[in-house]
Amino acid sequence: MRSIGARVRTLTASLLLSVLLFSGVAMAQEGASSSEELPWMICCFGPFLLISLVFAVFGILWAFFYPIMFLYGVVFSERNLNRRMSDLVLRERASIEHFGKDPLSTLKGDHIIGGVKETGLVYASIVYSPSHWQLMIAWINQIFGGRIDVIHRVISVGRAEAKQRLREQAQAAGWDDVLNVRIDTAEMTPASKPKGTKAVEVFAYGTGVKFA
Amino acid sequence: MVVNTETIAGKVITQNLGVVGGSTVRAKHVGKDIFASLKNIVGGELTAYTELLEESRTEAIARMVADAAARGANAVVNVRFATSAVTGGASELFAYGTAVQVE
Repeated sequence: MRSIGARVRTLTASLLLSVLLFSGVAMAQEGASSSEELPWMICCFGPFLLISLVFAVFGILWAFFYPIMFLYGVVFSERNLNRRMSDLVLRERASIEHFGKDPLSTLKGDHIIGGVKETGLVYASIVYSPSHWQLMIAWINQIFGGRIDVIHRVISVGRAEAKQRLREQAQAAGWDDVLNVRIDTAEMTPASKPKGTKAVEVFAYGTGVKFA
Repeated sequence: MVVNTETIAGKVITQNLGVVGGSTVRAKHVGKDIFASLKNIVGGELTAYTELLEESRTEAIARMVADAAARGANAVVNVRFATSAVTGGASELFAYGTAVQVE
Protein backbone atom coordinates (compact mmCIF):
# COMPACT_ATOMS: atom_id res chain seq x y z
CA MET A 1 0.00 0.00 0.00
CA ARG A 2 2.92 2.25 0.64
CA SER A 3 4.22 1.52 -2.83
CA ILE A 4 1.39 3.45 -4.52
CA GLY A 5 2.83 6.71 -3.23
CA ALA A 6 6.27 5.76 -4.46
CA ARG A 7 4.86 4.83 -7.88
CA VAL A 8 2.99 8.11 -8.18
CA ARG A 9 6.16 9.99 -7.24
CA THR A 10 8.19 8.10 -9.83
CA LEU A 11 5.47 8.70 -12.39
CA THR A 12 5.30 12.45 -11.87
CA ALA A 13 9.07 12.78 -11.69
CA SER A 14 9.59 10.86 -14.90
CA LEU A 15 6.79 12.73 -16.65
CA LEU A 16 8.35 16.07 -15.65
CA LEU A 17 11.75 14.84 -16.75
CA SER A 18 10.49 13.68 -20.13
CA VAL A 19 8.61 16.97 -20.72
CA LEU A 20 11.74 18.92 -19.82
CA LEU A 21 13.89 16.80 -22.10
CA PHE A 22 11.39 17.01 -24.94
CA SER A 23 11.27 20.79 -24.74
CA GLY A 24 15.06 20.88 -24.46
CA VAL A 25 15.45 18.81 -27.60
CA ALA A 26 12.83 20.92 -29.40
CA MET A 27 14.53 24.13 -28.38
CA ALA A 28 17.89 22.83 -29.48
CA GLN A 29 16.34 21.83 -32.78
CA GLU A 30 14.89 25.30 -33.29
CA GLY A 31 17.82 27.29 -31.93
CA ALA A 32 20.64 25.43 -33.59
CA SER A 33 20.14 25.80 -37.29
CA SER A 34 23.39 24.02 -37.93
CA SER A 35 22.69 20.29 -38.19
CA GLU A 36 25.80 19.30 -36.21
CA GLU A 37 24.31 20.12 -32.82
CA LEU A 38 21.20 17.94 -33.00
CA PRO A 39 22.78 14.44 -32.99
CA TRP A 40 24.89 15.48 -30.03
CA MET A 41 21.77 16.39 -28.08
CA ILE A 42 20.06 13.11 -28.97
CA CYS A 43 23.16 11.12 -28.05
CA CYS A 44 23.29 12.87 -24.70
CA PHE A 45 19.63 12.80 -23.72
CA GLY A 46 18.24 9.94 -25.83
CA PRO A 47 18.94 7.11 -23.38
CA PHE A 48 17.59 9.10 -20.44
CA LEU A 49 14.53 9.99 -22.46
CA LEU A 50 13.94 6.34 -23.33
CA ILE A 51 14.35 5.17 -19.76
CA SER A 52 12.05 7.84 -18.40
CA LEU A 53 9.48 6.99 -21.07
CA VAL A 54 9.54 3.34 -20.06
CA PHE A 55 9.14 4.33 -16.42
CA ALA A 56 6.30 6.69 -17.31
CA VAL A 57 4.44 4.00 -19.28
CA PHE A 58 4.93 1.49 -16.48
CA GLY A 59 3.81 4.03 -13.90
CA ILE A 60 0.68 4.92 -15.85
CA LEU A 61 -0.20 1.24 -16.33
CA TRP A 62 0.45 0.52 -12.65
CA ALA A 63 -1.59 3.52 -11.47
CA PHE A 64 -4.42 2.37 -13.71
CA PHE A 65 -4.36 -1.38 -13.05
CA TYR A 66 -3.47 -1.52 -9.37
CA PRO A 67 -6.84 -0.13 -8.12
CA ILE A 68 -8.70 -2.49 -10.45
CA MET A 69 -6.79 -5.52 -9.22
CA PHE A 70 -7.09 -4.38 -5.63
CA LEU A 71 -10.87 -4.05 -6.03
CA TYR A 72 -10.97 -7.48 -7.65
CA GLY A 73 -9.20 -8.76 -4.55
CA VAL A 74 -11.69 -6.99 -2.28
CA VAL A 75 -14.64 -8.55 -4.07
CA PHE A 76 -13.39 -12.01 -4.96
CA SER A 77 -10.53 -13.08 -2.66
CA GLU A 78 -12.88 -14.37 0.07
CA ARG A 79 -14.99 -16.19 -2.49
CA ASN A 80 -11.91 -17.74 -4.13
CA LEU A 81 -10.67 -18.90 -0.73
CA ASN A 82 -14.01 -20.49 0.14
CA ARG A 83 -14.22 -22.10 -3.28
CA ARG A 84 -10.76 -23.63 -2.92
CA MET A 85 -11.70 -24.85 0.56
CA SER A 86 -14.84 -26.64 -0.61
CA ASP A 87 -12.96 -28.02 -3.62
CA LEU A 88 -10.32 -29.40 -1.24
CA VAL A 89 -12.95 -31.14 0.88
CA LEU A 90 -14.20 -32.98 -2.22
CA ARG A 91 -10.70 -33.96 -3.35
CA GLU A 92 -9.82 -35.12 0.16
CA ARG A 93 -12.92 -37.28 0.25
CA ALA A 94 -12.03 -38.81 -3.12
CA SER A 95 -8.50 -39.76 -2.08
CA ILE A 96 -9.62 -41.10 1.31
CA GLU A 97 -12.06 -43.28 -0.61
CA HIS A 98 -9.21 -44.49 -2.84
CA PHE A 99 -6.92 -45.41 0.08
CA GLY A 100 -9.69 -46.60 2.38
CA LYS A 101 -8.35 -44.22 5.09
CA ASP A 102 -6.23 -41.09 5.34
CA PRO A 103 -2.86 -42.29 4.00
CA LEU A 104 -0.80 -39.59 5.72
CA SER A 105 0.59 -40.24 9.17
CA THR A 106 3.53 -39.17 11.29
CA LEU A 107 4.18 -42.75 12.44
CA LYS A 108 7.56 -44.32 11.77
CA GLY A 109 6.23 -47.57 10.36
CA ASP A 110 6.80 -49.88 13.35
CA HIS A 111 3.07 -50.59 13.45
CA ILE A 112 3.06 -52.27 10.03
CA ILE A 113 2.64 -56.00 10.63
CA GLY A 114 2.76 -57.68 7.26
CA GLY A 115 6.04 -56.15 6.12
CA VAL A 116 6.94 -53.64 3.43
CA LYS A 117 7.81 -54.34 -0.19
CA GLU A 118 9.06 -50.96 -1.37
CA THR A 119 9.72 -47.45 -0.03
CA GLY A 120 10.44 -44.04 -1.48
CA LEU A 121 10.22 -40.30 -0.93
CA VAL A 122 7.01 -38.39 -1.72
CA TYR A 123 6.83 -34.61 -1.66
CA ALA A 124 4.51 -31.80 -2.71
CA SER A 125 4.53 -28.06 -2.28
CA ILE A 126 2.56 -24.89 -2.88
CA VAL A 127 3.24 -21.17 -2.69
CA TYR A 128 0.11 -19.44 -1.49
CA SER A 129 -0.42 -15.74 -0.94
CA PRO A 130 -3.04 -13.55 0.70
CA SER A 131 -4.40 -10.70 -1.42
CA HIS A 132 -3.42 -7.12 -0.64
CA TRP A 133 -6.93 -6.58 0.68
CA GLN A 134 -6.51 -9.44 3.16
CA LEU A 135 -3.10 -8.08 4.14
CA MET A 136 -4.75 -4.73 4.81
CA ILE A 137 -7.40 -6.34 7.03
CA ALA A 138 -4.64 -8.20 8.86
CA TRP A 139 -2.76 -4.94 9.34
CA ILE A 140 -5.87 -3.33 10.84
CA ASN A 141 -6.38 -6.39 13.08
CA GLN A 142 -2.78 -6.13 14.23
CA ILE A 143 -3.47 -2.72 15.71
CA PHE A 144 -6.11 -4.17 18.04
CA GLY A 145 -4.29 -7.45 18.62
CA GLY A 146 -5.88 -10.83 19.16
CA ARG A 147 -6.72 -13.39 16.53
CA ILE A 148 -5.96 -12.59 12.91
CA ASP A 149 -8.43 -14.87 11.23
CA VAL A 150 -7.83 -13.82 7.61
CA ILE A 151 -4.19 -14.85 7.49
CA HIS A 152 -4.93 -17.97 9.52
CA ARG A 153 -7.46 -19.06 6.90
CA VAL A 154 -5.12 -18.36 4.01
CA ILE A 155 -2.29 -20.36 5.59
CA SER A 156 -4.52 -23.29 6.53
CA VAL A 157 -5.87 -23.48 3.00
CA GLY A 158 -2.27 -23.52 1.72
CA ARG A 159 -1.36 -26.27 4.16
CA ALA A 160 -4.45 -28.36 3.35
CA GLU A 161 -3.65 -28.00 -0.35
CA ALA A 162 -0.06 -29.19 0.19
CA LYS A 163 -1.31 -32.20 2.16
CA GLN A 164 -3.87 -33.01 -0.51
CA ARG A 165 -1.19 -32.78 -3.22
CA LEU A 166 0.92 -35.18 -1.17
CA ARG A 167 -2.00 -37.63 -1.12
CA GLU A 168 -2.41 -37.26 -4.86
CA GLN A 169 1.32 -37.75 -5.45
CA ALA A 170 1.19 -40.91 -3.35
CA GLN A 171 -1.82 -42.09 -5.30
CA ALA A 172 -0.10 -41.40 -8.63
CA ALA A 173 3.07 -43.24 -7.53
CA GLY A 174 1.02 -46.18 -6.27
CA TRP A 175 2.02 -46.07 -2.59
CA ASP A 176 -0.29 -47.67 -0.04
CA ASP A 177 0.63 -45.42 2.88
CA VAL A 178 2.72 -42.34 3.61
CA LEU A 179 4.75 -42.46 6.82
CA ASN A 180 6.64 -39.87 8.84
CA VAL A 181 4.96 -36.89 7.18
CA ARG A 182 6.55 -33.50 7.86
CA ILE A 183 5.03 -30.18 6.93
CA ASP A 184 7.38 -27.22 6.57
CA THR A 185 6.14 -23.68 6.28
CA ALA A 186 8.58 -21.07 5.04
CA GLU A 187 8.17 -17.43 4.19
CA MET A 188 8.97 -16.48 0.61
CA THR A 189 9.91 -12.94 1.61
CA PRO A 190 13.15 -12.58 3.55
CA ALA A 191 13.05 -10.30 6.59
CA SER A 192 15.70 -8.11 4.99
CA LYS A 193 13.41 -7.27 2.10
CA PRO A 194 9.97 -6.67 3.59
CA LYS A 195 8.48 -4.98 0.54
CA GLY A 196 8.62 -8.03 -1.73
CA THR A 197 5.99 -10.59 -2.58
CA LYS A 198 4.10 -11.70 0.50
CA ALA A 199 3.52 -15.42 0.34
CA VAL A 200 3.93 -18.58 2.37
CA GLU A 201 5.52 -21.67 1.02
CA VAL A 202 4.22 -24.97 2.36
CA PHE A 203 6.18 -28.11 1.72
CA ALA A 204 4.92 -31.54 2.75
CA TYR A 205 7.02 -34.67 2.49
CA GLY A 206 6.96 -38.23 3.71
CA THR A 207 7.97 -41.79 2.99
CA GLY A 208 5.69 -43.76 0.74
CA VAL A 209 5.46 -47.49 1.37
CA LYS A 210 3.99 -50.44 -0.48
CA PHE A 211 2.73 -53.27 1.68
CA ALA A 212 3.96 -56.75 0.95
CA MET B 1 16.21 -45.47 -2.35
CA VAL B 2 15.42 -42.24 -0.52
CA VAL B 3 13.26 -42.16 2.61
CA ASN B 4 12.72 -39.75 5.48
CA THR B 5 12.29 -42.42 8.14
CA GLU B 6 15.22 -43.49 10.29
CA THR B 7 15.17 -47.04 9.04
CA ILE B 8 13.87 -48.71 5.93
CA ALA B 9 11.14 -51.13 6.85
CA GLY B 10 12.08 -54.69 5.94
CA LYS B 11 15.76 -53.81 5.33
CA VAL B 12 18.81 -53.87 7.57
CA ILE B 13 21.31 -51.03 7.55
CA THR B 14 24.76 -52.57 7.36
CA GLN B 15 26.97 -49.53 6.96
CA ASN B 16 26.71 -45.84 7.76
CA LEU B 17 28.47 -43.68 5.19
CA GLY B 18 27.88 -40.25 6.72
CA VAL B 19 25.77 -37.19 6.00
CA VAL B 20 25.20 -36.32 2.36
CA GLY B 21 23.51 -33.20 1.04
CA GLY B 22 22.59 -31.37 -2.10
CA SER B 23 21.59 -27.77 -2.55
CA THR B 24 20.59 -25.41 -5.30
CA VAL B 25 19.79 -21.72 -5.67
CA ARG B 26 17.33 -20.85 -8.38
CA ALA B 27 15.34 -17.87 -9.58
CA LYS B 28 12.65 -17.20 -12.14
CA HIS B 29 13.16 -14.55 -14.80
CA VAL B 30 11.96 -11.01 -14.18
CA GLY B 31 8.79 -11.40 -16.25
CA LYS B 32 7.55 -14.22 -14.02
CA ASP B 33 8.52 -12.22 -10.94
CA ILE B 34 6.44 -9.27 -12.15
CA PHE B 35 3.54 -11.57 -12.96
CA ALA B 36 3.78 -13.17 -9.52
CA SER B 37 3.77 -9.77 -7.82
CA LEU B 38 0.66 -8.88 -9.82
CA LYS B 39 -0.97 -12.18 -8.81
CA ASN B 40 -0.02 -11.32 -5.24
CA ILE B 41 -2.39 -8.32 -5.33
CA VAL B 42 -5.43 -10.55 -5.86
CA GLY B 43 -4.06 -13.41 -3.75
CA GLY B 44 -4.07 -17.14 -4.39
CA GLU B 45 -1.47 -19.60 -5.55
CA LEU B 46 1.67 -18.18 -7.17
CA THR B 47 2.17 -20.94 -9.73
CA ALA B 48 5.51 -19.64 -11.00
CA TYR B 49 7.02 -19.92 -7.52
CA THR B 50 5.46 -23.32 -6.86
CA GLU B 51 7.10 -24.53 -10.05
CA LEU B 52 10.39 -22.92 -9.07
CA LEU B 53 10.44 -24.71 -5.73
CA GLU B 54 9.39 -28.00 -7.28
CA GLU B 55 12.27 -27.80 -9.78
CA SER B 56 14.80 -26.79 -7.13
CA ARG B 57 13.68 -29.57 -4.83
CA THR B 58 14.04 -32.19 -7.54
CA GLU B 59 17.50 -30.87 -8.34
CA ALA B 60 18.60 -30.76 -4.69
CA ILE B 61 17.44 -34.36 -4.19
CA ALA B 62 19.23 -35.45 -7.37
CA ARG B 63 22.46 -33.85 -6.14
CA MET B 64 22.09 -35.49 -2.75
CA VAL B 65 21.56 -38.87 -4.38
CA ALA B 66 24.61 -38.34 -6.59
CA ASP B 67 26.67 -37.50 -3.50
CA ALA B 68 25.44 -40.68 -1.82
CA ALA B 69 26.15 -42.78 -4.89
CA ALA B 70 29.69 -41.38 -5.01
CA ARG B 71 30.20 -42.71 -1.49
CA GLY B 72 28.99 -46.13 -2.53
CA ALA B 73 25.66 -45.99 -0.72
CA ASN B 74 22.51 -47.63 -2.01
CA ALA B 75 20.04 -45.67 0.14
CA VAL B 76 19.61 -42.34 1.90
CA VAL B 77 17.65 -42.36 5.14
CA ASN B 78 16.21 -39.66 7.40
CA VAL B 79 16.10 -37.01 4.69
CA ARG B 80 15.32 -33.43 5.78
CA PHE B 81 14.76 -30.26 3.81
CA ALA B 82 15.70 -26.69 4.59
CA THR B 83 14.64 -23.59 2.70
CA SER B 84 16.03 -20.11 2.87
CA ALA B 85 15.14 -17.06 0.84
CA VAL B 86 18.41 -15.47 -0.19
CA THR B 87 16.90 -12.49 -1.96
CA GLY B 88 13.40 -11.64 -3.11
CA GLY B 89 13.10 -13.82 -6.19
CA ALA B 90 15.66 -16.51 -5.48
CA SER B 91 15.43 -19.35 -3.02
CA GLU B 92 17.97 -21.78 -1.70
CA LEU B 93 16.93 -25.37 -1.24
CA PHE B 94 18.95 -27.82 0.79
CA ALA B 95 18.24 -31.52 1.13
CA TYR B 96 20.31 -33.67 3.46
CA GLY B 97 20.25 -37.16 4.88
CA THR B 98 22.37 -40.11 5.93
CA ALA B 99 23.90 -42.29 3.26
CA VAL B 100 23.74 -45.96 4.16
CA GLN B 101 24.25 -49.43 2.78
CA VAL B 102 21.17 -51.60 3.21
CA GLU B 103 20.51 -55.27 2.66
